Amino acid sequence: MDNFEKHIRENAAQFNEHKADRAKLWANISAELHQPEPKVIPLWKRPMLRIAASIVLLLGIAGFIGLSVLSGGATETQYVSKELLEIDMHYKGLVSYQVQLVQNNPNLSEMDKAEFLSFMDELDAEYETLRDEMRNNLDNERVLEAIVANYKKRIELIENLLRQLNDAKKSDEDYGYTL
Amino acid sequence: METDIRFTHQTLVEQCKTGNPSSQYELYSLYVDAMFNVGLRFLGNKEDAEDIVQDSFVDAFKKLNSFKYESSFGAWLKRIVINKSINHLRAKRVPVVPMEAHEFHLADEEPMETDAVDVQKVKMGIAQLPEGYKQIINLYLIEGYDHVEIGEILDISTSTSKSQYHRAKKKLVEIIRAL
Repeated sequence: MDNFEKHIRENAAQFNEHKADRAKLWANISAELHQPEPKVIPLWKRPMLRIAASIVLLLGIAGFIGLSVLSGGATETQYVSKELLEIDMHYKGLVSYQVQLVQNNPNLSEMDKAEFLSFMDELDAEYETLRDEMRNNLDNERVLEAIVANYKKRIELIENLLRQLNDAKKSDEDYGYTL
Repeated sequence: METDIRFTHQTLVEQCKTGNPSSQYELYSLYVDAMFNVGLRFLGNKEDAEDIVQDSFVDAFKKLNSFKYESSFGAWLKRIVINKSINHLRAKRVPVVPMEAHEFHLADEEPMETDAVDVQKVKMGIAQLPEGYKQIINLYLIEGYDHVEIGEILDISTSTSKSQYHRAKKKLVEIIRAL
C-alpha cells in the first residue's frame, strides 16, 4: 500500500460528510418492522372443521376403496366379454354365411329348409342360455367352451346339409356308367 | 483486541434481537449516517441511498438472530448496504466493474507508487471517474475491503479485482493530477 492509499484509508471518515434524514428514515423502517401481523387461526384448530375434515377424509378413503373394487370387477367382466366377442365375431360370420347358402340353395325343398332352420333355432336358444350363464359369471372357461361347441355344431350341421346336397347333385349327373 | 471489535454494542444488539423498539432506534441512530454515506457513494443520489438504507435496516433487524458476531455489527450491516447497492446498480444496468478487459489481466498493471493527495481532491476525482471504476475504488480505498472480499462482493476473481483496482486507481490519479 502506497502513501496515497494509506492517506485515504486513514482519512476515510472524512468521506462520511452527509447526514441522513433520521426521522424520515426511521418512520419508514419502524412502520415496516412493527406492522401488525395478520392473525392467522389455523383451520385445523376449529373443532367443527376437524370433524368435517375427518368425515371428508373417511368418505374419500371409502370412495377410493369402493371405486378400486368396482373397477377391478369391471375389468374382469370386460375381459370375459372381450373373449366372447372374439368368438362371436369369428363364428357368427361363418354361420350366417352358411345359413344364407342353405336358404338360397334352389335344390332344397321348403320342408328341408324349415327343418334345418328349426335345428338352428334350437342351437340359437342354447347359445342364448350359455350367454346368460356367462353374464352370471359362472365357470367361464367351461361356458366359453360350450359356446364354441354350440357354434361348431351349427357349422357341422350346415356343412353336412351342404355335403348331402352336393352328393345328390353328383348322383343326378351320374349316367350309370363310366367312360 | 479483534474480539472486542466484533462484540461492539453487543448488549444493544441482544436487546434488538428481542424486538425492543427503543433499542432498535438506538442502534439505528449509531449507524444510520455511516450507512447513508456508504449508500450515497455507491448510488450517487440521495433518494436511492435512502431507499437502500431503509431496506437494509429492515432486513438487518428482521434477520438479527442470524448475526453471530463473526464480524462487528457495523461491518455486517455495511455489507448488507453494499450488497443491496450493487444489486440495485446491476438492476439498473450500471456497470459495477470496468467494461473492457474484464477477463484479461494486462501486463502493464504494475502497482504504482503515488503520494498522499488532499482528501477533497480525491473526492472530486472519484466523482469524475467513469461508471464501473467508482465501485472498486470505494470498496478498496474507502470501505477498506481486501481483494478477496471485493471479489465476493462484485462476483469477480481476486486477480481481476487487483487488476481492475490498479486500472481504476491509475485513472483516479490522472484525474486528480489534472485538477
